[in-house]
Amino acid sequence: MLDSKTVKKLHKRLVSIVGTDYVHQQETDRVLNAHDAWPLSEAKLRSGEILPLADLIVYPATREEVSAILVAANEMEIPITPVGGGAGTCGGTLPIYGGIQLDLKRMSKIYEIDNQSMTIRAQAGVVGIDLEETANRHGYTLGHTPTSLRASNLGGFIATRSGGSMSSLYGKIEDLTLGLEVVLPDGSIIECKSVPRHSVGPDLRQLFIGSEGTLGVITEATLRLFPLPEERRFRSFSFPDIHSGLEAIRNIFRIGINPSIVRLYDPEDAAMSFSMHFEFEEGHCMLLLGFDGDIAHVNLDEDKSVDICNNHGGTDLGEGPSKRWWEHRYDMYYPTRLTTSGYAIGDTIDIVATYDKLENVYHSMKKVMEATGAIVMSHFSHMYQNGGSIYMIFFTSQPDAETAWAIYKKIWDDGVAACLKEGGTMSHQHGVGLSRSTYVDDELGSAFQVLKKIKESLDPKGIMNPGKLGLGVRK
Amino acid sequence: MTFDETLAEQIRMCAACPKMCRHVCPTFFAWRSDSPTPHGRALLIHQSIIGTREIDERGIEVLFQCLECSHCLTWCKPEIDIATIVEEQRRVLVAEERRPKGLDEMALAIKQYHNPYSEPHASRNNWLSIKKKKEGKSLFYFTGCTAAYREQEIASSTVELLESLGYRISIGNGSSDEWCCGSPLFRTGDIELGLEQARHNTQMLNELDVEAIVVTCPGCFRVLSKDYPEHGLVLNKPVRHISELLDEIKDHLPAADFEGKITYHDPCHLGRHSNIYDAPRNVIKQVSHSNLTEMERTRDNAMCCGNGAGLRTLFPEHAKKIGMERVQQAKQSGASILVTSCPFCKNMLQSQSGNDLTVLDLPELVLQAKRSRKVKTH
Ligand SMILES: Cc1cc2nc3c(=O)[nH]c(=O)nc-3n(C[C@H](O)[C@H](O)[C@H](O)COP(=O)(O)OP(=O)(O)OC[C@H]3O[C@@H](n4cnc5c(N)ncnc54)[C@H](O)[C@@H]3O)c2cc1C
Ligand code: SF4
Repeated sequence: MLDSKTVKKLHKRLVSIVGTDYVHQQETDRVLNAHDAWPLSEAKLRSGEILPLADLIVYPATREEVSAILVAANEMEIPITPVGGGAGTCGGTLPIYGGIQLDLKRMSKIYEIDNQSMTIRAQAGVVGIDLEETANRHGYTLGHTPTSLRASNLGGFIATRSGGSMSSLYGKIEDLTLGLEVVLPDGSIIECKSVPRHSVGPDLRQLFIGSEGTLGVITEATLRLFPLPEERRFRSFSFPDIHSGLEAIRNIFRIGINPSIVRLYDPEDAAMSFSMHFEFEEGHCMLLLGFDGDIAHVNLDEDKSVDICNNHGGTDLGEGPSKRWWEHRYDMYYPTRLTTSGYAIGDTIDIVATYDKLENVYHSMKKVMEATGAIVMSHFSHMYQNGGSIYMIFFTSQPDAETAWAIYKKIWDDGVAACLKEGGTMSHQHGVGLSRSTYVDDELGSAFQVLKKIKESLDPKGIMNPGKLGLGVRK
Repeated sequence: MTFDETLAEQIRMCAACPKMCRHVCPTFFAWRSDSPTPHGRALLIHQSIIGTREIDERGIEVLFQCLECSHCLTWCKPEIDIATIVEEQRRVLVAEERRPKGLDEMALAIKQYHNPYSEPHASRNNWLSIKKKKEGKSLFYFTGCTAAYREQEIASSTVELLESLGYRISIGNGSSDEWCCGSPLFRTGDIELGLEQARHNTQMLNELDVEAIVVTCPGCFRVLSKDYPEHGLVLNKPVRHISELLDEIKDHLPAADFEGKITYHDPCHLGRHSNIYDAPRNVIKQVSHSNLTEMERTRDNAMCCGNGAGLRTLFPEHAKKIGMERVQQAKQSGASILVTSCPFCKNMLQSQSGNDLTVLDLPELVLQAKRSRKVKTH
């Protein structure tokens, strides 16, 4: 937290940039805007804790205002935490060292759709669903369908390297972002031109995609668009075990088919998610497939995929489970009595690995996470030619806050350690934020020094989102 | 304790929600901050229930920014009705004399003049001319404050239309003295003064010798048909919203060719709060040869006009921003006529409509059809 004299000075400076209405200083605003959707923050709020607060929240409307704010923060050496939709799951927007929260929600202009190049350009603060609906009105989709589409915004998607549930076909945000505008900590505004590919040195866009507000503020982006598919078809299979299901998936990709949806639920998650609605053998896994495209193409892909599933011991369950999941995909994120009672807490470790390691990662993580007494259920999703992600979902309920937060940490520590030991990577799409910040060293190993050096050179005063992504951690 | 265990549990759940409905919250739209949102309001109340933080002045402001449109409820799987919870909390704040100043003025106006606009009570309905008919089904038209003082076209069109359809209309004037229905008070937590209006109106309405009471204002409709009975004030004759009444006799309604497409805005108190969605649409289709086009956000997913629950009194610029957005949505549908069925909505939408959208209330539309006049679209 800053001393009151500094806050006063900073307030005056920020007001001169954006006007009084857009600098919030009141405690209520600082409390209500502090957190994202990190389950630990939510659990702490529920139990009556006050989270770390910013000293001021500022709401710029233009890149020039963002730049002037960064110049001020840099001059005064004040920490600055960018806020997108505030629906990240890793505590990335928590202002752990106080200072400024720079909230981009007012920057919500959608500039243009380029029909010829099939791109859309917008400010960073536009909410995902508003961008998608605009694209839909013109006959396109972004192809980016995270379940946070309604709450997160464009800048947040990019800052966390997020992935939609159809990333197997359309790609993740790093594949979808063609152009980027970023304001650096010293206030300079840089542009990474919108081009499909290039060969002018390393791709600087990728430096900022996933930088989680530690290297600068994303103010604008140009995304790819896809024509709305003529057909979206769903198909589901049960498999006797994870191995046969994964083999089916691997072989579908191997022959060049890219389904839009590929999700394999382990027996626990399958029972939890589908047994109330569909008949399938107890202890079996559930594979959900989706195919997007023109009808002829979809027919072909579906037929071949069905053959592969049958050959790997799958039982055809028709479109039911897959279609139901699609229609109810937001449901599991709503609060329930059980998940919000007492000191209950759940979270997801969304790891990623190549096929050769994926099963080992799954079994090892499950074993150590369950050893803490937690309920663990998982699904493999966001699958690709060479591997894919696992959503390791856990839930624990403890008698008091201290035990709950300690067990929560142990599940994370042990789960991530098991993942890394088996050669996995600790996040596919949620990012690092605060929840994984302490593991970055182990995850990146010798490569971490590159990231640290980039950070030091771009942000020598360490003002940008300190404490996140393993960078700028203070004593 | 204001909130029983079930409500406290719901508040706790909402305080831990990853903002699943925020994208449709009109005050989130207007402010672009996490404070005036369903989750934000629930967190404030939760923290006050469990003793983490008291609701301070800014918290009060945030709670009184809620439009009570209940759009969030449409998107809430656990069906947590934040509008009702906020209304409960407002009651406590009113009882503690901590409501925002602007609302004190509104309440005082209703107390003194029986309308929130501080207009002389004597001129409430005295300008409305009523035919002295002996025949026809007798209806009492409860005009409500907005049609009486601010949207008089609606009141006069309603009377003219209903009389032309054979009804015998009486209004609150002279001995049958209509007061504000109390909606602005009930919705902002001032139950005591709201009930003062309600008791008067109940007695007045129950003494009337008419077959039914008709209202054009969904706010009036909701309090007369729901809040009054909830407080033990039972009306001895049916209360009908004009859209239901016209729907019932739609076969007798005239039809005309309207220039351009018509779209319909669902008022929150009529749609989400009273579940009346089809009646106004049936009427529009009937009088326009089915020339109705829907907006993307419609029925229980319709955006609020921004004029509810005191927001325009307290934060006019933000209220207008919401109204402007709704008008844009209407224009996006390709319509050149925007029909609603609420004087309050009409008032806001018309103020933001510009030159390329005509805003009409339902009885006005029907009357236009009856006069077989092409509706000018500016
Ligand atoms: C219900 C729910 C479902 C989810 N489903 C998915 C899913 O399917 N796929 C997925 O990938 N994720 C998912 N997430 C996680 C999360 O929503 C995403 O990671 C999302 O990309 C975060 O975006 P946001 O706008 O909410 O970012 P925020 O939470 O506001 O910020 C996230 C991080 O990015 C930084 N940041 C934000 N905006 C900027 C900017 N303009 N410039 C620089 N830094 C910035 C912040 O400082 C913070 O560190 C889900 C979350 C929830 C709550
Ligand atoms: S009203 Fe429902 S959906 Fe909205 S924030 Fe609360 S719990 Fe979530």
